[in-house]
Amino acid sequence: MKRLLKKTQGLIVQFDYHKTRFKLLYIGILIFLSLALVVTIFPPVWLILSSFKSAREIYQVPFTLWPDSLDFSKVSDVWNMLDFSKYYVNSIIVTLGAVLTSIVFNGLLAYAISIIKPAGYKIVFALVMASLMIPPILNMGTLFNYIVKLNMINSLLPLALLFGANPFYFILFKTYFDSLPEALFEAARIDGANRLQVFTMIVLPLSKPILAVVSIFTLTAAWSDFLLPFLVLQSDSKQTVMVKIYQLYNDMGTSMGFGPDSLLMVIAFSIVPPVILFFIFQRHITSTVATTGIRE
Amino acid sequence: MNGSKLKRFLKKNLGGWLIMLPSILLFIFFIWGPLLSNISLSFFESIGYDRGAFTGFENYREVFADPVFSKAFFNTLKYTFWSLLLGFGIPIILALLLSELVHAKGFFRSAIYFPNIIPGLATILLWTFLFDPSQGGVLNAILDIFNLGPFPWLNDPDLAIPLIVLTMTWKGAGATTLIYLASLQNVSDVYYEAARIDGASLWQRIRHVTLPHLIPTVKTLFILQIIMVFQVFYEPLVMTDGGPNNASISLLQLIYRYAFQQGNAAKAAALGVLVALMLFALTFAYLKITNRGKKTS
Repeated sequence: MKRLLKKTQGLIVQFDYHKTRFKLLYIGILIFLSLALVVTIFPPVWLILSSFKSAREIYQVPFTLWPDSLDFSKVSDVWNMLDFSKYYVNSIIVTLGAVLTSIVFNGLLAYAISIIKPAGYKIVFALVMASLMIPPILNMGTLFNYIVKLNMINSLLPLALLFGANPFYFILFKTYFDSLPEALFEAARIDGANRLQVFTMIVLPLSKPILAVVSIFTLTAAWSDFLLPFLVLQSDSKQTVMVKIYQLYNDMGTSMGFGPDSLLMVIAFSIVPPVILFFIFQRHITSTVATTGIRE
Repeated sequence: MNGSKLKRFLKKNLGGWLIMLPSILLFIFFIWGPLLSNISLSFFESIGYDRGAFTGFENYREVFADPVFSKAFFNTLKYTFWSLLLGFGIPIILALLLSELVHAKGFFRSAIYFPNIIPGLATILLWTFLFDPSQGGVLNAILDIFNLGPFPWLNDPDLAIPLIVLTMTWKGAGATTLIYLASLQNVSDVYYEAARIDGASLWQRIRHVTLPHLIPTVKTLFILQIIMVFQVFYEPLVMTDGGPNNASISLLQLIYRYAFQQGNAAKAAALGVLVALMLFALTFAYLKITNRGKKTS
């Protein structure tokens, strides 16, 4: 409570906290936020704990949160039964590929439009901005047809390349590049560097913060991507984690030995990588969302 | 243009265009191409996913004649209504409370954002479990402790949409909260101090200092939320398959149904064009509102 009496910024400050009324209000704020915390944390906690339960235990009345036994061998049992490594590997390939294309293609486009500005760049800029309105899944039928025509069914390539045409990431790059001092690029050009060298040797090293941001967003978005992978990846050995989960969910009633408890465990597998990423980069992620308004 | 001038023009611009070219090709492949093909396909009959004979506005007529289309359209309005009712106020309140927090601020901020990083499909399946309608479903079993229920949850046509919106809000509210929080941190303390010296009560400070400052952000996020809700797709697809009896089917889900479940790509294309027009109108409104905001502030 002493810290309240030192609060100098914001709506309620130290002078207010001399009054009991405001102290009670602050306790109310703490209680309310703690309740919000329970709402955000309870479902994932329930998921993890229940994945150790038996199918019968999950639907048991009265409700219990803690499983009868925390048998960690179940983790490897479910993983091995489904040979889950291959889906993980596919997802990792798509995700890393997505990060690479996302940085290279959105970055280069933003570099050309923000810094090089070749004749006619404004038309390209306007078209990219207009594509903000057009979510790619809106035209899913024709996009799927393109992929069929190019013989890329069961290929991971289009799923990674999709992230190279992302107007949100483009804007993040462009806004950042706009703020870099122009003199730097001119100096490098005078020293004889070509346009591409300026990008790799000057722009990219100066852009670490925005590279981190776009990478984190692309990582989580590509890991979670579902519709296009679901349409494109038709053979089991090519499926990503999300596609496999959806298939397991749809088949749950029909396949023997795979009950709701196993499905919960597989869902838990899918949230582990983004959760780890979040714990490493949480400060970075939360501050970027706040300033850019882009969520994933 | 003579030879040397042309050469200089090319030298100046060719490099830039070469650098843009791969990215432009990707935008053509993933966004502009499918959009144009879609517009074109919508005026033809489809053979598989390819164009057959020209049929004029026949596909549009079919879409409008489909009772499920009007259902999906009004459902989308319902999604919008519920998302504004359930989802719009919560982030503002959370941001206000978070900004006043002195203890464990970073922890609360991360925890409230946390659901956002859980993959969409995992979130949807998780909540499908929580909303299990059986006696032993998680929420029913918890409510049973208080002698309530069991409730049919997603099986109730009147509850399906609000519950789907609840799921979306659970996932998305944290991110919106952080945007409001950033906006709140930009309120200069001078205004609060002035208000306090004038003897303004807490409510008066919120009413006359905080809220006016938030208005531009509120306007922007209001329209953005509507645009986002118009694109709701995965949630009804997975949680209810649009049911019960199409009570929760959304426009994008209907496109999916036409294209991949009924094998009518042309009809899907026509609906895609219609939804694109709606999004265009909403975006136009958004730009109008935000531009006006900039001019006055």
